[in-house]
Amino acid sequence: MKARRLAAAAMAGGAAAALTVVLLRRRPGRLRYRRGLAALRLFVRGGIRYAGSAPRLFAAAGEQRQLLREDLALQTAEDVADTLGAMKGVMMKIGQMASYVDDGLSPAVRRTLARLQDSVPPMSPQLAAAVVAEELGAPPERVFARWDPQPIAAASIGQVHRAVTRDGRAVAVKVQYPGIAETITADLSNVALLRRMLRITAPAQDVDALLTELRERIGEELDYTREAENQRLLAAYYDGHPTIHIPAVIDELSTRRLMTSELSGGARFAELARWPQHERDLAAETIYRFVFRSLYEVGAFNGDPHPGNYLFHGGGRVTFLDFGLVKHFTQAELQPLLQMARTVCVEHDPGAFRRGLEDAGFLRAGAPLSTQAIVEHLAVFYDTIREPGPLTITGDYASTVVRRFFDVRSPVAEYISVPRSYVILQRINLGLFAVLGELSATADWRAIAEEIWPFVQGPPSTPMGQAEAAWRARHQAIAA
Amino acid sequence: MTTDPYAAATGLVERCAAAYVSGVPEDAADDGFFGPASVTWRVSTDLASPVAGLRSLLMQALHPLAMAGVDQHSGWRRDPVGRLAATSAYLATITFSERAAAAAAAARVRRIHDHVRGADGVTGRRYAAADPALLLWVHAALVQSGLAASRAFGTPLSADDSDRYVAEMRVAAELVGVPWPLVPASVADLERYVASVRPELRCTPAAAESMGYLLDPPGLDADVAGFWQDVRDAAIAVLPDWARAMYGYGAPQPLTPGRRTEIRQSLGVLDALVLSEPGVLEARQRITLRMRAVRSA
Repeated sequence: MKARRLAAAAMAGGAAAALTVVLLRRRPGRLRYRRGLAALRLFVRGGIRYAGSAPRLFAAAGEQRQLLREDLALQTAEDVADTLGAMKGVMMKIGQMASYVDDGLSPAVRRTLARLQDSVPPMSPQLAAAVVAEELGAPPERVFARWDPQPIAAASIGQVHRAVTRDGRAVAVKVQYPGIAETITADLSNVALLRRMLRITAPAQDVDALLTELRERIGEELDYTREAENQRLLAAYYDGHPTIHIPAVIDELSTRRLMTSELSGGARFAELARWPQHERDLAAETIYRFVFRSLYEVGAFNGDPHPGNYLFHGGGRVTFLDFGLVKHFTQAELQPLLQMARTVCVEHDPGAFRRGLEDAGFLRAGAPLSTQAIVEHLAVFYDTIREPGPLTITGDYASTVVRRFFDVRSPVAEYISVPRSYVILQRINLGLFAVLGELSATADWRAIAEEIWPFVQGPPSTPMGQAEAAWRARHQAIAA
Repeated sequence: MTTDPYAAATGLVERCAAAYVSGVPEDAADDGFFGPASVTWRVSTDLASPVAGLRSLLMQALHPLAMAGVDQHSGWRRDPVGRLAATSAYLATITFSERAAAAAAAARVRRIHDHVRGADGVTGRRYAAADPALLLWVHAALVQSGLAASRAFGTPLSADDSDRYVAEMRVAAELVGVPWPLVPASVADLERYVASVRPELRCTPAAAESMGYLLDPPGLDADVAGFWQDVRDAAIAVLPDWARAMYGYGAPQPLTPGRRTEIRQSLGVLDALVLSEPGVLEARQRITLRMRAVRSA
C-alpha cells in the first residue's frame, strides 16, 4: 500500500514539480515582482519533503505567536477580519498545507510563510471566551469546571485551550476565530484570484485540479463538525488498538466552531528524535500502520501528517491529533493504487503497471516512452517495499524521492499528471516519508505492507503486528 | 513622448517596504506630529492605502506645473522605484516618526524643492517646487485620496473623523512650507479648494506618460499584472469623473459589493507580500501596540 501511495505521491509531486520549475525559471526583464513571486510560490507548494528544520521552524513560529504576542492578541471580530480577511487567511491555510513539505525552499519563501503565520496573534482571553459563549451557550467558566484562559497551542484558524469538564475529564478545546469561516469562504469563492496566484507557478490543467482540491479541503476544515466526525470515525475504528490512540471527541461540547476532545499528554516529535533508535523505529512502525490501515480499511487518509500532530508515549504507542484535513477515498479510487503496487512489487509485470498508471489517469495513454523508462522513473517510490528484509528510510532516501518527484527534466515527467482525487495525497505521502526519514526508521516495510495489502493479508511480521492481529480478531468478533 | 529607456522597476515591493520600515521608530521619544490616537495613523494603516497612494499620484500629476517639476527634475525614468520609495519613506517618517526626525525629513525636502524651478513645456509657465500653491495641491490630492480610498475599499471614516483627518493633516502641508492659513481644515474646505484648482488641471503629455508607466509598468508578468490591475482599477474608480475624463479613461466598472470584495482581496495579497519583507511585521506591531495603548488608556 505504501507503494501505491508512493506512486500517487509521485504523480502529485510531478504537478508540484512543474509548478516549481515554472516559478524558478527566471524571465529576463520580468524580475520586478521576483519577491512577490517568491511569496506566491508558497501557495502552490506541495508535495515535497520537509527540511530537517522545518518542523521545529513551524513549532517555533506557533509557540512564539502564543507566548510573545499576547500583547497583540486579537480583541474583537474586527481585529480578526483585519488580520485574516482579504485573502490572508486563505493564503495562510494554503501556506500551512505546504509548510512542512520543503525541498529546500528558498529562505525567502520560508520566511514569507513563517511571517504570515507569525502575523496572526492569538485571540485575547475575552474574545476566546466570547466564542465559547456563542457556541456553547454560556461562558467557559460555567460550561467547564476549569478553563485555562491562556491558549496552549495555535490550531488551524483557531487556538487550543485546556479545560476540565464538569464530569472531571481533562480536555483540549479548539476554538475557532470568530467570523473566520465566513471570511475564508468568501475569499475561496474568488476563483479568478486564486487561479491567478496558482497559475503563476503552474500549468493550467494542474491549477484547476489543485485549486478545486484546495478549495474543498480548506472549506471542510472550516467546519469543526466534519473534523469531529472524522476523528470519531477513526477513534471508533482504532478503539482498543495496541499502539494507535485517537482522542475521543466530547460530542456535547463540540459545534461547528468549537471542538472538545480528550486531552492527551506524551512527548513531541522533537523529543522523540532524542529517544533510542528502537523507540523511534517502533513509533515509525505505528505511524506507518496507521496511515495504511486508515487508507485501505477506513478509506480515510489524514491529510496532515505534520510532526506536531503526533504525541509519543514509548513502546511504539502514538496519539494522533488533528483530523481537520481528512481525505476520504472510495474503493474505486483505491483500486488503482493497489493495482500499481501489486503489479510492480508482487507480480513484477511492467506492462500491467503501465496500464494501471494509464487507467488511473496518472500517465497519458500512448506516451512515446518505453515501459522500462517509466518503471525506472517510478521505481524509486517503491524501493522500500519491493523486496523483503529490514530497510532504513533515511533522510537521504526521502530527499531522493522528492527530487525524483521534481525531476521534470526526465522525459517521463511531461506525461505524468495528477487526477484530482489524488492531489491531496502528495501532501500526505511526502509528509509521511519526511517523518520516517527524519526518524531514520528501520523495519521490514515490505512485510508490514503485506500484512496490510488487501490482496495479500500476510501474517504478522513483528511483535506489533501480532498485537495488532489480536486486536483485529477481537474487533472482527465484536463486529460479527 | 520620450525615447528615454525606462529603468526596470525591480524591487518595488522590497524597496517600498524598506522605506516604510525606516519611517517607523523603535523607541519613539515622542508621538510625532500625529500620534497613535490620530485619524491619520488609522488612514495610513488602512488596507486601502496603496489605492490612496496611487490615486493621489494620479491627481497630483494633473497639475501641469507640479507634473513639470517632477518630470524635469526627479529623474523618475532612471529610477522609478527609487522615486516611489523615497516618497513612501517620507510619508512614513512624517506620519510615524518623532517630531525631530519628521522635521528633519521635511527640511530635506524643502531644500531639494528650493532647486527645482523651470518652465512647463506645454504652457510655458514658470514654476518653482517651493511655490506654496503647488505644494498645497500635492497635499490636497493626498488627503482627498486617503478619504476616497478608505471610503471605497477600506474602513470608512465617520464624517467627524473625516474632518479630523483633514485638520490633522494640515501639519504635513506646513512641514513642507505651505502657510498654515492656506491649508483646508475640513472636508468642505478641501472640496472647495479642489474645485477652485480644477480649471488649472489638465493631462499634459508628461502626466500621461508617467501615469501610463505607473498603471502598467512595462514588462510586468502577465499573471502578476492581473492583480496589479485590480489595484489600479480601484484607484481609477475613486477618481473624480472629471479627472478620469482628463486622462481619457473610460467609465469604471460599477463598484458593486462583489467588485469591492475582489479589490480588497487583491489588496490583501499585495499586503501579504509587503508583510513578508524584513521588518514590516515588527513595524506594524509597534504601531498596533501604540494605537492600542492609547485606545485602552
